[in-house]
Amino acid sequence: MLAFALQRTAQMALVIFGVITLTFFAIRLVPGDPARLMEPPGTPESVLDLTRQKLGTDKPLSRQYLDFLSQLARGDMGTSFRGGRPVASTVLESVPNTLALGAISMAITTLVAFPLGIAASRKPNGWLDRATLALSSIAQATPGFWLGVMLALLFAVNLRWFPAIGNAGWKSYVLPVATLVISLFPLQIRAVRQAFIETMGEGFVRAARARGLSERRLLGVHITKVAAIPLITIIGLQAGYVLGGAIVIESIFNWPGIGNLTLQAISQRDFPMIQGTVLITAVVFTLINFFVDLTYAALDPRVRLR
Amino acid sequence: MIADPTLPETTTVASSAGAGAQPSLRRLMGEIRQRKVATAGLLVFLAILLIALLAPLLAPHEPLKQNLGDNFLPPAWKDGGDWTYPFGTDPLGRDILTRLMYGARSSLIISIGAVFVGLAIGLVTGLVAGFYGGFLDTTLMRLGDIQLAFPFVLFAIAILAVSPNRTVWHLMAVLGISSWVIYARVVRSRVLSERNKDYARAAQAVGASRWRVLRRYVLPNVWQAMVPIALLNLAYFVVVESLLSFIALGLSPPNPSWGSIRADGRQYMMVDPWMALLPGFAIVITVLAIGLAADGFADILDPKLTQGAFQRQPLTSSMPDSTIAEESENDLLQVRNVCIDYPAKSGTVHAVRDVSLDVAPAEVVGIVGESGSGKSTLGLAIMQLLDAPGRVTDGALLFEGADLARASNKRMNQIRGRGIGMIFQDPGNSLNPVLTVGYQLAEVIRANRAASGDGIRTLARQSLAAMNIADPDRVLRAYPFQLSGGMQQRVMIALAMIAKPRLLILDEPTSALDVTTQAQLLAELESLRAEHRTSMLFISHDIALLAQIASRIVVMYAGQVIESGPRDTVVANPLHPYTRALIGAVERVDAAGEERLEAIAGDPPDLRIVQPGCPFAPRCPLVMDRCWTVAPPRIAREPGHEVACHLYESPGSKEIAA
Repeated sequence: MLAFALQRTAQMALVIFGVITLTFFAIRLVPGDPARLMEPPGTPESVLDLTRQKLGTDKPLSRQYLDFLSQLARGDMGTSFRGGRPVASTVLESVPNTLALGAISMAITTLVAFPLGIAASRKPNGWLDRATLALSSIAQATPGFWLGVMLALLFAVNLRWFPAIGNAGWKSYVLPVATLVISLFPLQIRAVRQAFIETMGEGFVRAARARGLSERRLLGVHITKVAAIPLITIIGLQAGYVLGGAIVIESIFNWPGIGNLTLQAISQRDFPMIQGTVLITAVVFTLINFFVDLTYAALDPRVRLR
Repeated sequence: MIADPTLPETTTVASSAGAGAQPSLRRLMGEIRQRKVATAGLLVFLAILLIALLAPLLAPHEPLKQNLGDNFLPPAWKDGGDWTYPFGTDPLGRDILTRLMYGARSSLIISIGAVFVGLAIGLVTGLVAGFYGGFLDTTLMRLGDIQLAFPFVLFAIAILAVSPNRTVWHLMAVLGISSWVIYARVVRSRVLSERNKDYARAAQAVGASRWRVLRRYVLPNVWQAMVPIALLNLAYFVVVESLLSFIALGLSPPNPSWGSIRADGRQYMMVDPWMALLPGFAIVITVLAIGLAADGFADILDPKLTQGAFQRQPLTSSMPDSTIAEESENDLLQVRNVCIDYPAKSGTVHAVRDVSLDVAPAEVVGIVGESGSGKSTLGLAIMQLLDAPGRVTDGALLFEGADLARASNKRMNQIRGRGIGMIFQDPGNSLNPVLTVGYQLAEVIRANRAASGDGIRTLARQSLAAMNIADPDRVLRAYPFQLSGGMQQRVMIALAMIAKPRLLILDEPTSALDVTTQAQLLAELESLRAEHRTSMLFISHDIALLAQIASRIVVMYAGQVIESGPRDTVVANPLHPYTRALIGAVERVDAAGEERLEAIAGDPPDLRIVQPGCPFAPRCPLVMDRCWTVAPPRIAREPGHEVACHLYESPGSKEIAA
């Protein structure tokens, strides 16, 4: 178990390092000069040079990269090209908003998807199963960014029930959470249904039934314990998606989270800010993967004791 | 395997995979036509694709032509709209319908192109990883893991954000690269499983090149598995592409795409909500259509997901009077004229046909037959554990006088385990993999109130010790996968014996074990029978094995009992040509000491067809004219020894009324 955790930690560090390195070079190697974007059009080249010096983009790439790494090692993520805010605090301020939105959405999704998926799996092709699948097919086909705007139009603009943008109290959560839940539940409900149907068909379930165990015991212990294992992966992927910043949903509702920040930074070519948000996203994502692996090992003795 | 492996509905996928060379893609397209919803989805998608491709011919206007005098016109069905612009115009006076059609063009072309990019990369990497293995395999798959370990969309956004001019090719490449891992994993696992199959090995052994084996055996199966995955991937790309356009990272303007029309509409949502709504609907319909088609294909490849595994349907018809009259105190189990069907689209499989047999207290009855003879199906039917859609359609299964086929679910649950226990062929798959042996034993002990408190552990240990398990404490702590096959099967028997059932059904309990373990298990079963007077119904394909343990033997062929009698007379004096062949096959193996060869020429009959005459006729060495047309009567030759064969119709024999 310890070796497993160590190996995973090393792997995580490697992934995070790879991601920040790739981002660093990718955003610098493609054309587009942040200095030019910052200054009004028609600014003379001499002024642009000064701006570049200030930003540090006049130095050779290798030098910029080494500076970036040594800064990072000291816990300094640099300052934003826009307004000079420190990246670290800006990014860290946005994290709780994203975590709250993501955690609430994931919790509701799981609370809906598990009971409904299990109920549907009890009678494949029955009315509940068909209705659930039809509903999830439609929800799956509805792009989140479109749905978000439609919900905002209906409930914020026309009915004025909830605010459309920002985070000002619980009412602000309703629309983004609803949008995220509708985007997340189809995949999860299908995964739950499939895992339970497949597990119900396993030989050990039939053998347990042949031993005269009650249906409640079969479902509650024998089927659930096995079917839950692959579902951890799905939940982990989805959690990574929302906690790493549901970029577009956050941008639609102008949610002060990490996804919105990322998108702004990209459009403004704010290099330090892009690096900062990508770093945080990568850390959150790999941490979730790590927890998924740990949970996997905890639930499945075949992984743990191999 | 859940049911008898010869039943067509459970093996369509498996058998076509085994055949390898079958044009499985064509078969898949043939089967999709029988599914209305999936076909509708496929047709809608093809229609949208056609509109997209023919947009230059079909569109009423030019997509980029501005007409500022006609801007913000409402759709035709609203006040002030007209049919010149059916869906109205945008702020620049461009026709929205035309822009939607051209938008479909870019959305779908990009998405389809991206699927092919991902598919191509995934196919090559998957094949290379699967075929060469080793370092290449590890590197490629680890690379994929790393890519999946990070939200690639974010990366795509970063790359696209800095590209000054985004063409169709950029988007295809970025989206395609994001998806290669899924394809590579499927291809790799297929290659690994297919190349180890006998036919692929045989082909390679006779000198077929690696790539020939690949093309002929591996790829057809890969294509088949790819269809639903690629469709879902396509639906996903349609959404992602529109999302990218929506955040102004799609095709560079002014080229329309659903996402960019949608984004244009956002700014004017208060004035003209249609502009924002329409492209959304276009995306929903397209993605829904693709999704439904994908579901249909996935269903065909894995029918279990719509069938379910176990849905018991008790018989509702009343029991035939003759059955009730026959009841006798002496017999524990009386199977009377039982018929079992598996309804299927390709024809109902009549797996068991009019079978009757008895098991007396403390008696061991052996059922022997090839796979597909219906012997396992019968065993499951007694437990009322047939997989859907199989069901008992006629007859009675009397256990201690009560009919199991007509019993309520509640009653049946009381009989399972306590009245009748069952041991299955594959012990590794019969124990819950994530629960310890101790937990599973304690659970059954509690369910039967056989002990409580500290007594549970003592009883669990005793029940393992009774199966000659030397170190019960270690086994109690172990998970099933940590035990050998023989040990797993001992645990299974211990689990079954806790409730002290009167009857134990054993379905090929030793077939997965080696010869030594098999002999030990048989000895243990015999001592169980002696100690607890447990009756046993022992199902096997091996008549030599049954001769060791059973006191009576029932021979099944094509769902029917063709011979039955006391072990000694059946083995020493087999009457039916099929039984003789079975025994002959055993003797030949003994003599040669080698693996069993095809004992009897020909194949078992198709159980979907009810033929007149004797089912064994096509393979029988002694076949006569009437065997083809008249069903053979059951004839008693010696006391208790019956045979269904025309050879024994003589004045001396006594015919038994069916």
